[in-house]
Amino acid sequence: MSLIEARGLSKHFKVLNHREGLVGAMKDLFSTDFRVVKAVDDISFAIEPGEIVGYIGPNGAGKSTTIKMLTGILQPTSGRLIVDSIVPYENRQKNVRNMGVIFGQRTQLWWDLPVVESFKILRDIYSIDENTYNSQLGLFQELVDLRSLYSTPVRKLSLGQRMLCDLAAAFLHNPKVILLDEPTIGLDISVKSKIRTVIRELNDTHRTTIILTTHDLGDVEALCRRLMIIDKGKIIYDGEINRVTELFGVYRTLKVQIFQYGDGMMDLLKARLTDKFGKASEIVVENTEPGWTDVTVNQAVVPLLDVLNFLMGTLPVKDVRIVEVSMVSVVQKIYDGALR
Amino acid sequence: MKPYLGTIKGTLIAWFIYRFSFFFTLAGNLLYMTLIFFLWKSIYSGADTIHGMTFNQTFIYLALAGSLFILFTPGTDWTISNRIIDGSLIVDLLKPVDFQILTLARTTGFGIFNVAVITIPSLLVLFLGFRADMKLGIGLLFFPIGIMLSFLISFAIDFSLGLTSFYTESIWGISTTKTAITSLLSGALIPLPFFPQSVQNILRLLPFQAIYNIPLSMVTSPNLSVLDYARALGVQVFWVVLLFAFCRWFYRRAFRVLTVSGG
Amino acid sequence: MRTLRYYLKIYFRCAVQYVKARMQYRDDFIICSIGMAFSCVTTIFVFRILFNTIPNLAGWSFDEILFIYAFFLLSITPVQFFVDNIWFLRYDIISGAFIKYYLKPINILFYYMSERVDVKGFSQLALGVATLIYASSRLRMEWNLARILLMGIAWFSASLVAMSILIIAGSTGFWLFGGSLPVLNLAIKIRDFSPYPTTVFTGIFRILFTYLIPIGFVAFYPAQLFLRPGTAPLLAYASPLIGIGFFLLAYFIWSKGVDSYAGTGS
Repeated sequence: MSLIEARGLSKHFKVLNHREGLVGAMKDLFSTDFRVVKAVDDISFAIEPGEIVGYIGPNGAGKSTTIKMLTGILQPTSGRLIVDSIVPYENRQKNVRNMGVIFGQRTQLWWDLPVVESFKILRDIYSIDENTYNSQLGLFQELVDLRSLYSTPVRKLSLGQRMLCDLAAAFLHNPKVILLDEPTIGLDISVKSKIRTVIRELNDTHRTTIILTTHDLGDVEALCRRLMIIDKGKIIYDGEINRVTELFGVYRTLKVQIFQYGDGMMDLLKARLTDKFGKASEIVVENTEPGWTDVTVNQAVVPLLDVLNFLMGTLPVKDVRIVEVSMVSVVQKIYDGALR
Repeated sequence: MKPYLGTIKGTLIAWFIYRFSFFFTLAGNLLYMTLIFFLWKSIYSGADTIHGMTFNQTFIYLALAGSLFILFTPGTDWTISNRIIDGSLIVDLLKPVDFQILTLARTTGFGIFNVAVITIPSLLVLFLGFRADMKLGIGLLFFPIGIMLSFLISFAIDFSLGLTSFYTESIWGISTTKTAITSLLSGALIPLPFFPQSVQNILRLLPFQAIYNIPLSMVTSPNLSVLDYARALGVQVFWVVLLFAFCRWFYRRAFRVLTVSGG
Repeated sequence: MRTLRYYLKIYFRCAVQYVKARMQYRDDFIICSIGMAFSCVTTIFVFRILFNTIPNLAGWSFDEILFIYAFFLLSITPVQFFVDNIWFLRYDIISGAFIKYYLKPINILFYYMSERVDVKGFSQLALGVATLIYASSRLRMEWNLARILLMGIAWFSASLVAMSILIIAGSTGFWLFGGSLPVLNLAIKIRDFSPYPTTVFTGIFRILFTYLIPIGFVAFYPAQLFLRPGTAPLLAYASPLIGIGFFLLAYFIWSKGVDSYAGTGS
C-alpha cells in the first residue's frame, strides 16, 4: 500500500451559466441552468514514502483542487483517496497532523509574534516531543542561521527570511508528507538555492514525502525525480523527470559557427543534410542567433554524432555547442496541448 | 448540488449587499425606533408630560435623533484617518483644491444619499407606522435649514478629529469618545429638557446641542415664535463660523506636521 | 489530544503573546481604553438622568438597572477577548488567506479566534466589575459562595449568547463573500438593546428579543436571578440552556460556512 493513493479520483463543480446585466443577475438567483466543470477528472496515482514529486500544470488545471482534497478541505465527488491509511475529508484533523504545508504567497506563522513563539505554539499544537523539536530546529540552525531570527516578529522579516521560517515551521513536527506550493516565489537566486538545499537535506534525513506544486521549473528540476503533469483535470504525464524531455523525441541541437558564413549557406546546408541522411531524418536547420546555425536532430532517428561528423567534414566549422532541449520548452509545448 | 447552488447565489447576494448595505443601516435604525418607542412608552406610563414634554414629543424627538444620527456621523474622521494610513491622502493634497472643501464636498454627497435612503424612509415609518403625531407649523420651514447647519457643525467637528490622525493612529478611541460625548450632551439620547436646569444651562453653551437639540426642538416644541427660530439658527450659524475657523487653523498646523514627517 | 487542557494551553500561549505584542502600542491602548470608558459612562449617565425624573423603569429601580447594565458589560467582554477576530473574517475570506486555517489539526473556529484579543476589553471589564460592585452594595446584596458560583454560571451563559450573536453575524461573510460588515454592525446595534428590560417590549418584539435574537439573555433575564431571586421568571433559570443552545446554533452556522467556503476559496 503506497503512502498516498488516488484511484479514479474526481471533483466536479456545478457552475451557473451567468446571464448579463442586472436583470440577468436577478434571473440567475432562480436559475437552474448549470454546466458541470470537471476540475479533477478521474485521476489515479500512487506516491511512495520519501518521493519528491513535482505536480505541475497550467493555471486552472486542477492542481489546487487536488491539494485541497489531499488536505481534506474538499470532498471528492467520486473515487478514492487515501493518505497514510486515512481518508482526508473524513478525518481532517487526523490527516493534517501528518502533514506540513507551505504556501509561498502566505505565511502560516503568527504575524505579530516573534518567530520563536510561532514555533512554540506549533509545538503545543502538534504535541511535538522535546527531542524532535530540538533536533529539527538544530537541523535548521546548521543549514541556515535560524536562531538570529527568533526574536523578530514575522511581519518584520524579509520575504526570504520568512520563507525559511515557514519551511522550518512546516517541518517542525517531522510530518510524513509536505505540500509545497510555490515555495520560492519572489525570492532571489541565493535564497532559492538555500531553500532547495534545505528541502533536499530534510528529504534525505527523514524520508519525508514531498509534493511540489509550482510554476518555477527550476525548482522542479532541482528537487524532483518524478513529475506529474495535470491539465484540464486529467493527468497527462506521470513519470521520471528526465523522460519528459524525451516525450516528443530525443532532440539535441547542434549549434555551429561557420567561418565565412554567407547568404545561401543555409539552403546549401539543408540540401547537403537531406542528401546525406534523407528527408525522413527530420533534421531542422535554422538561424536563431546571429553567427550561429542551429541544427536540431532527433536522436531516435539519426545519431547526433553522425551529423556532427558530417558537418565537421563538410564545412569550415569554427565552434560547436551541443544543447539539450530545455524542459521549459517541452513543458510549454505540453501546456499548449501537444499531448492531447 | 445544494452547496454549489448556495455559493453562486451567495455571490449575487453579496453584490446586492455591497450595493445596498444601507438596507442594514435602515433596518438598524427602524429597530432603534422600536426600542425608543417601547422604552419611553414605559417611562411615560405614569405621567402625561415629563419636563414639559409629552410622550409624543419625546418619541419624535428621539426617533428623529436616531434617524439623523447617521446623517450627522458620516465617518469623516475615519475617512481621513484611513486615507492617511493607505497613503491616498497625498493625492488629495496634490489637487489644486482646498482640502477642507474637497472633504466637505465628498461628505455632502454621502449626506444626500443618506437623506434619501435612510432619513426619508425612517420618517415615513415614523409617521405612518408608529402614527407619531406632529403639529405642522412654521417649524417645518426652519427645520431643513437647521438640519443643514447641524450637518456643517458636525462636519467641522469630525474634520478636526480626522486631522488628529496626522498625529496619531488611534482613531477608534478618539472617534468613540467623540460619539459618546456628542450623543449624551446634544440631547440625542435624552432630550435636553430632561437634564437638571443647571446642567442644561451649561449644555446650551456647547456646540453639541446645536447639532441635535436645536433642530429637534424646532419640530417638537410648541408655541415658538419666529424670533425664537431665528435665534436658534443664529446660534447654529455662530458655531458653524467658529468651528470652521478652528478647522482652518488646525489644518494649517497639522499640514506642517505632515510635511515635516513626510507621510 | 484534543482535550480541554490541550486547547487551554494553546490558547493561553497565543493570547499572552498577542497581548504582549499589542501592548507595545502603548498610546493606542490608552486612547482606546479611554474611548471605551467614555462609551460606557455615557450610558450610565443616561440612566442617571432618566431616573432623576422617574422613580422606576418598567418596575426596576436605578440601582437595579445599574446592576443589569454592569452585568451587560461583563457578558459582552468575553466577546472582545475571544471573538474579536470575527471582524477581520471578511478580509481573510476575500483575500483567500482563510484557507490556512484548514491546515492545522485543531478546530478551525478555535484557531481563528485564538489569533486576536481585543485589549481594550480590559477597561470595559474593569468598569463592569466596578459598576457591579457599586450597584450590588447599593442594593445591599449579600454575596456568599453559592451566589458567586451562580454568578459564574450566569455570566458564562450570558456571554455565550453574546458571542453567538456575533459569530452568526460574522459567519454570513462566508456566503456573502466578505460582505458581513453591515450584518455585524446591525448585530451590535441590536445587542446594545440588552441592558434595557426586555419586558418593555410587547407582542412580537418581545418574542423576537427573547427567543429569536435572545438579547434578553445577555443581561436582563440572568440578572434577575440576583436582583429578585424570589420572583424571577422561569425563563431566567433557562439561561444556561439558552446560552449553550444558541452557541451550538452559532457553531453549526459557522461550520456550514466553513464547508461552503472550502469549495470556492482560491
